Amino acid sequence: MDYLYGLAQTIGVHTILGLSAYVVLQTGQVTMAQAAFYAVGAYVAAMLTTVWGVNILLAIPAAAAVACALAGLAGFPALRFKGLMLVVATMALGEAVREFFFNFDYQIAKGDLKVGPAGAEGFRQIRYFYERGWTTAEVAGFIWVFVIGIMALLWWMDRSRIGAVLRAVGEDELAAQSVGINLTAVKVSAFALGGAIAGVGGALYAHYTTHVEHTAFGVVMATFAIAYPILGGLSSVFGTLIAVLFIQGLLIQGLPILIGGELRNLLFGLLILLAMNIRPRGLIDERVARMLRGLFVRSRNA
Amino acid sequence: MVLIQAIIDGILVGTTYALIGIGFTLIFGVMHKLNLAFAAASIAGAFLSLIVWQNLKWLPVPAVFLIAALGAGVLGYVIYVACFRFIPLKSPLATLMATVGMLIFLDEVVTHVSDGKAQDYPGMLPTARWVLGPLDLRVDYLLVFAISVVAMLLLLALLFRTRLGIATRAVAQQPVAAQLCGISLDRTNAATFVISGVLGGLAGAMIGSSAELLSNLLPLQLTVKGLIVTVIGGLGSIPGAVVAGLLVGAFEKGLETWSVLARDLCVMLLIFVFLVAKPAGIFGKLNVRD
Repeated sequence: MDYLYGLAQTIGVHTILGLSAYVVLQTGQVTMAQAAFYAVGAYVAAMLTTVWGVNILLAIPAAAAVACALAGLAGFPALRFKGLMLVVATMALGEAVREFFFNFDYQIAKGDLKVGPAGAEGFRQIRYFYERGWTTAEVAGFIWVFVIGIMALLWWMDRSRIGAVLRAVGEDELAAQSVGINLTAVKVSAFALGGAIAGVGGALYAHYTTHVEHTAFGVVMATFAIAYPILGGLSSVFGTLIAVLFIQGLLIQGLPILIGGELRNLLFGLLILLAMNIRPRGLIDERVARMLRGLFVRSRNA
Repeated sequence: MVLIQAIIDGILVGTTYALIGIGFTLIFGVMHKLNLAFAAASIAGAFLSLIVWQNLKWLPVPAVFLIAALGAGVLGYVIYVACFRFIPLKSPLATLMATVGMLIFLDEVVTHVSDGKAQDYPGMLPTARWVLGPLDLRVDYLLVFAISVVAMLLLLALLFRTRLGIATRAVAQQPVAAQLCGISLDRTNAATFVISGVLGGLAGAMIGSSAELLSNLLPLQLTVKGLIVTVIGGLGSIPGAVVAGLLVGAFEKGLETWSVLARDLCVMLLIFVFLVAKPAGIFGKLNVRD
């Protein structure tokens, strides 16, 4: 049972990572910086709880705020670009943040133990849950409260005016601009919101793994962040969740049982390739999303 | 003096970055799409030649290079078919994601082939030195430089002196008009992928050869470096990619004399300086929309 709760934790934090990129992708921007905001959230929250003994319910909003501020600041210069330029700019930002944590050293003695981030060695002993005797199931539940909260927020946003504005910018910037939408404001806000969500995800991630290292937040994680929403489709937040279930649940946890771990990553790349060839607009594209919504509406009327 | 020596070394080796940057730029120029798997395919080509060399040790180094170039060329075609051919042009995110899938796949293949550690690769005259006053130049670096320059000149000859080159440039300028003139988009695009693959494979082999090691970490590292070179040089600009490749190479080696740890951080900051001060790159036209 603990294995399943552990899996639920992994799926939860990855869903948050994917959703943070979902917001940005909706405005048509491909971001490779989500891993950086995730790292910032992880380090800030872990330092608050472990080094300064702050309550986790305060540490998570603080982590989100710092990641949000960084995203907003970086967003202004970065979002002058589109397409490839933005991919490279955000990738460079991500790598710069990772290199920063690689060189970041701040340890204090706590009892007979030194705690805090230690450069290349990473940040060990984030034992907040462990010290308070939380079980795996309780931690999984705690993470999913945040997952559901963020999904509900984005689902509401999708159906509101804000979602329409984001999509308008994503579909056609020129058209959006000519109906009076401030492109920079929309893009930077989406980027900052994505940063805040990634900050929450990173904070949860740091506490459930109890050990973060700069290598975890590289290009691969940034790729995963955009892979979930693109694979799942940008029409619905549930697409991201389904893509995470597909990748983390089926490919990463299920395939090793079926065919052994060696082939797993090879197949992983190929399956992404195949999925994009068959469903270029994502697993849940506009048609499926409309169909689902139709089912929902009809059942309510009946 | 150490710094000047390092910068000269950096310029000589930077030609390999230039070749990778040219590959990214060529594909972007023709397809207006980003092929994130390109650098990984180049290194995969080098690893293919490594396997051949490990089994046939008597092979001369030029033959090993040739195998790497041809292997990466074939991989270029495979990438075109798998990631671009059947995905509608209207879904830029889908092609991007498909190339990411390919990147992960190739990276994983390289990890398997290399057993997760750097492998020996045949070097070209690794001990030969050419002492020039206070400077001490490695002959294999000079060879890397010479081979890269010849490859670039051949590419220019191909682009500006052959029918295929005219077709390629026509497609880059105006795909619809090119099609109306009877140019096959499909064949021209495929040819571009093969040509850039050959250049990339050559660069991958030379990167391995000048260090006498082929690292399993190269696919991701080179992807990041190649993209940086492409953006600094200006999207779609071949001279830009060349100058930016040399610049990044020199900058990197120069910084190494100061601190290896800060090197990569500074290269990342360099790109931010360029994005803020000269967003179009060195030779690019300012076209912020994609």
